[in-house]
Amino acid sequence: MSINKDKNIFEIKNLQKWFPVRRTMKEVLNKEQRYVKAVDGVTFNIRKGEIFGLVGESGCGKTTTGKLIMKLLDPTGGQMSFNDEDVTYLDHHKLVDYRTKVQMIFQDPYASMNPRFRIRDVLEEPLVIHKIGETREERYDMVRKALAEVRLQPPDEFMERFPHMLSGGQRQRAATARSLILNPSVIVADEPVSMIDLSTRAEILHMMKSVQRELNLTYLYITHDLSTARYFTDTIAVMYLGRIVEMGDPDDVIDNPKHPYTQALITAVCEPIAGKVNRIKEVPIKGEIPSAMSIPKGCRFHPRCPYAKDICWEADQPELEDIGNKHLVACHRYKEI
Amino acid sequence: MANNNKKEKVLEVNNLKLYYRTSMGEVKAVDDISFFLRKGETLGVVGESGCGKTTMGTALLKMPTPPGYIAGGEIKIAGQDIVPLTEKEIRKNIRWEKISMVFQGAMNCLTPVYTIGKLMMETLQEHRQMSKSEAYDRMVKYLGYVGLPEHILNKYPHELSGGMKQRVVIATGLFLEPKVVVCDEPTTALDVVVQAQIINLLKELKEKLDLSFIFITHDLATEAEVSDRIQVMYAGKIAEIGTNQQIYGEQGASHPYTRRLLAATPKLHEKVAELAFIPGTPPDLLHPPSGCRFHLRCDVAMDKCKVEEPPLVEIEDDHYVACWRCPKK
Amino acid sequence: MKWADIKNSFSDFWKEFKRVKSGIFGLVLFIIFLLIVIFEPLVLPFGEVNDTWRDITYWEDNPKSAQPEWTNFFRSEKLSTSSKLTDPEVHINDMGALKMETVSFKYDYQFSGAPKDIVLKAHGTGNPLIVLSVTRPDGEEIELLQKPLFLEDGSDVRISLAKDSRDSVYEFARDYESRVNVGKSDPKLFDVPMVLFSKAQEGILRDSLSEALKGEYTFSANIILQNENDTMDDFSLIIPGQVYGVLGTDAYKRDLWSGVLAGVKWALLIGILTAIVSVSIGVIFGVVSAYYGGWKDSLMQRIFEIFRSIPLLPLLIVLSAVFKPSLFMLIGMMCIFFWTGPVKTVRSMAMQIKEETYIEATRALGGGHGRIIFKHMVPLLIPYSFASMALFIPGAIVYEATISLLGLGDATIVTWGQILSDALKNGAVLNGLWWWVVPPGLCIALMGMAFAFIGFAMDKILHPKLRTR
Repeated sequence: MSINKDKNIFEIKNLQKWFPVRRTMKEVLNKEQRYVKAVDGVTFNIRKGEIFGLVGESGCGKTTTGKLIMKLLDPTGGQMSFNDEDVTYLDHHKLVDYRTKVQMIFQDPYASMNPRFRIRDVLEEPLVIHKIGETREERYDMVRKALAEVRLQPPDEFMERFPHMLSGGQRQRAATARSLILNPSVIVADEPVSMIDLSTRAEILHMMKSVQRELNLTYLYITHDLSTARYFTDTIAVMYLGRIVEMGDPDDVIDNPKHPYTQALITAVCEPIAGKVNRIKEVPIKGEIPSAMSIPKGCRFHPRCPYAKDICWEADQPELEDIGNKHLVACHRYKEI
Repeated sequence: MANNNKKEKVLEVNNLKLYYRTSMGEVKAVDDISFFLRKGETLGVVGESGCGKTTMGTALLKMPTPPGYIAGGEIKIAGQDIVPLTEKEIRKNIRWEKISMVFQGAMNCLTPVYTIGKLMMETLQEHRQMSKSEAYDRMVKYLGYVGLPEHILNKYPHELSGGMKQRVVIATGLFLEPKVVVCDEPTTALDVVVQAQIINLLKELKEKLDLSFIFITHDLATEAEVSDRIQVMYAGKIAEIGTNQQIYGEQGASHPYTRRLLAATPKLHEKVAELAFIPGTPPDLLHPPSGCRFHLRCDVAMDKCKVEEPPLVEIEDDHYVACWRCPKK
Repeated sequence: MKWADIKNSFSDFWKEFKRVKSGIFGLVLFIIFLLIVIFEPLVLPFGEVNDTWRDITYWEDNPKSAQPEWTNFFRSEKLSTSSKLTDPEVHINDMGALKMETVSFKYDYQFSGAPKDIVLKAHGTGNPLIVLSVTRPDGEEIELLQKPLFLEDGSDVRISLAKDSRDSVYEFARDYESRVNVGKSDPKLFDVPMVLFSKAQEGILRDSLSEALKGEYTFSANIILQNENDTMDDFSLIIPGQVYGVLGTDAYKRDLWSGVLAGVKWALLIGILTAIVSVSIGVIFGVVSAYYGGWKDSLMQRIFEIFRSIPLLPLLIVLSAVFKPSLFMLIGMMCIFFWTGPVKTVRSMAMQIKEETYIEATRALGGGHGRIIFKHMVPLLIPYSFASMALFIPGAIVYEATISLLGLGDATIVTWGQILSDALKNGAVLNGLWWWVVPPGLCIALMGMAFAFIGFAMDKILHPKLRTR
């Protein structure tokens, strides 16, 4: 299924999620409030039918962004629109409807299913919640269809099993089936293969891709693994400390990174190539990642950036600029690097 | 690095068997493996879940996780077989003295109620009779090796980042100056950038202190950048052992499993249309399949593979393969 | 979760439970108690004990404060057992104007302790005249009493020798007793049956000196039916002995075995009902509190703390004294305070469950609060709830017993606490009536123990394990 280049299924503008931190007495008296700024102004669009990759290290805000899109969290700022409708804040009724359209696959396939439910109960649950299907038999038919969709054959055999009777790959397929059963248009996949064996990983991704084609789905694919992201996604966005620093075509971003952070990440990634064992890898990055409670002024990457100059901490934080070929970078000095 | 073949073996494992007693029978987690580690090298042990690598790691320190136990074989550290030794002897002389371990998720095994200094001191004094000032000096020295300042000793684990905690654990694994350090997924839980830094650190330490490492991981990409020789395990057996060049080089690895595992590993700078995978799942180690354990998932399996288990054979210098399809070169 | 799943998890649980010996012991005790309740109508010697516990007349044929019969096993000199003779020899002499009915009972007395009384019961009409006499094994014949009766149609007749033959027996004794002893005795207070059944010799009036006269006694009643419609029939001779039944009798002549058996069902009811209701409330409270978190959780915890800090027993005493509650009100009051028990543990378990990914996944699917709480969280807590319930039961029983002991319980039913209360009131301990005090107390302890063992065994197996693998 081809990507509809003109239609954005999601438009995110300056999305923000700040978590208030428990205050000390002194802070309460001084009327101060600190925040963990997990997501601090994120802007991007997801086109209909594409696989949009959100990449970054732990603490960069990618999982929180995913939860905001899933509306498991409410934003503290910014706007979100889905199919041209503003979904930033939804009342209960609209939220239930939203849930049938946007679904999620979690990282840990075992933990995401109640271990005391059989697979058929796990998959039936969303149907029961949304009152789909009149009889149990009708719902079970839908379950069978979903299981067939993810190639868990024969469906009846898998329906009877408990999650711990399935392998990691099979469980993730079942979790995918559960997310598909309501016929959503968007699936948010948070590290769906990171807990799965290498030899099976590609099989799951392959299944996800074919499911996408057959059902006209759009994916938000969240991961820390750049290599898999390159293979799987149509657009990639690199996040650092709550903001997107670089975004574009995966080949472009990875072969031609413009942001110093992206460059550092790419240098740091290990590759299964001979001859690297005796070399000390120079990763162009300094220090440690700061806490999201005390974000550096100006460009938030400047304390660690090997190219930082005055402008980087004196000016306002850089916004994403289109540098051609739909490749966006948020850096004051990208031209000089 | 030059006279590799002449360097002595600091660790030698022969016919090691590690089994788990369960209510349903014996799970043969590691079933008769033999390999060695030379002085000053890093041997990477790679494999997927259930291949036995973690079991083997803890067994090298004679700490098999119950209900596992050593069912046979020898583990020779600097020539001494530790299998017949008693727990007391191992604790006194072997563990942490001759061989130490950097655990998986090491960051979470630092007791949160003690300062780093107290934790390290405890380990040190458990093993050596040292005065407090001697112990202190050594701790500072090794913290320095891992790039941490002295004041870390006064901090509590929760005050340190993941990378810092991992460095502390590495320092603790080294400061009794063992001959062999077993690292079990030391970088898996870390961010990519921190991982690169830790890998650099391990390489520096190996050079500076002439250490020998066993580096266990499931990530083939990490192994390529860390290990001099790589040992690929599958379903409790060794499939292939080769040098970095022999496994990752252009002509490719020899064992079908290794080849396919490599094909399934995405490379950052290579654009692939389809990523390969290996259909099926690893076998049940309660009832392992007959013949070669990989034959059910192998695309080049012959009739012989189904019946007879291939031995680990040296097909060229420093290159061992257990496959009927791989003749001597 | 279907039936098959529940059956499976139950059989897994049972396999583990079987291994804990104390649990099996507790279970066996419980089953015994349960059987008693189920088969109560068959097992009770006195079927109407439930309704007649406070009715004196129902028990009048029993001896007062009699020891249990099996205590005779430990005596060489046996105390008299209680019996009822119902098949007398009856002769009717028709002498024209009046009829003379002769009724005689043979009683073989082989004991060392005399019965408490001899009671003649009959059924009659009109104005018969009754003369009672006894022939002793030593040949002595004593005319015990002469009494005209005034009976309505079909009235019951009840003549107690201990009451009505006092004078004649005293006269008889005086003939054989020494002057000294006669002087020491009191004609109004001496033990009539003791004299009747003692050897006719010096010391007959003195409890410590009299010797039992063993042999066959014949009690005869000569009834003169003067008028046409005078009748008397249905004769029986009740002999309340010094020992009676399995657990003896109390000061009100009530069979304690019946009382104790009848108390089983109340103990079970109080225990189980209180436990189920209070644990259910407590578990749901704990889960909801943990689930919502934030200020709602804090509020609920403060409510919990208030209830928790109220001392239950003094409050129950005050409430009972004021409201004189029925049993169900008492259960209600206990539930109102017992529910705090499991809350803290359940809350911490629920807080851990709340963090599980599958809870988040359910929310992502659109699941609401109710579904998450009742379909995902509570089922994981059910095993712990059962263990909790088992451990609450002894507590509830003891509370009720305490309230009853203080005289504040529900007087319309027989509970072990009630029995103990009466015992205390009548100075059972002071008077050495151990059989009145020990059995109910022992039963309370046993039932408490049974459930405590079951509860501990369950707890051992089901203790808070959140990963059910």
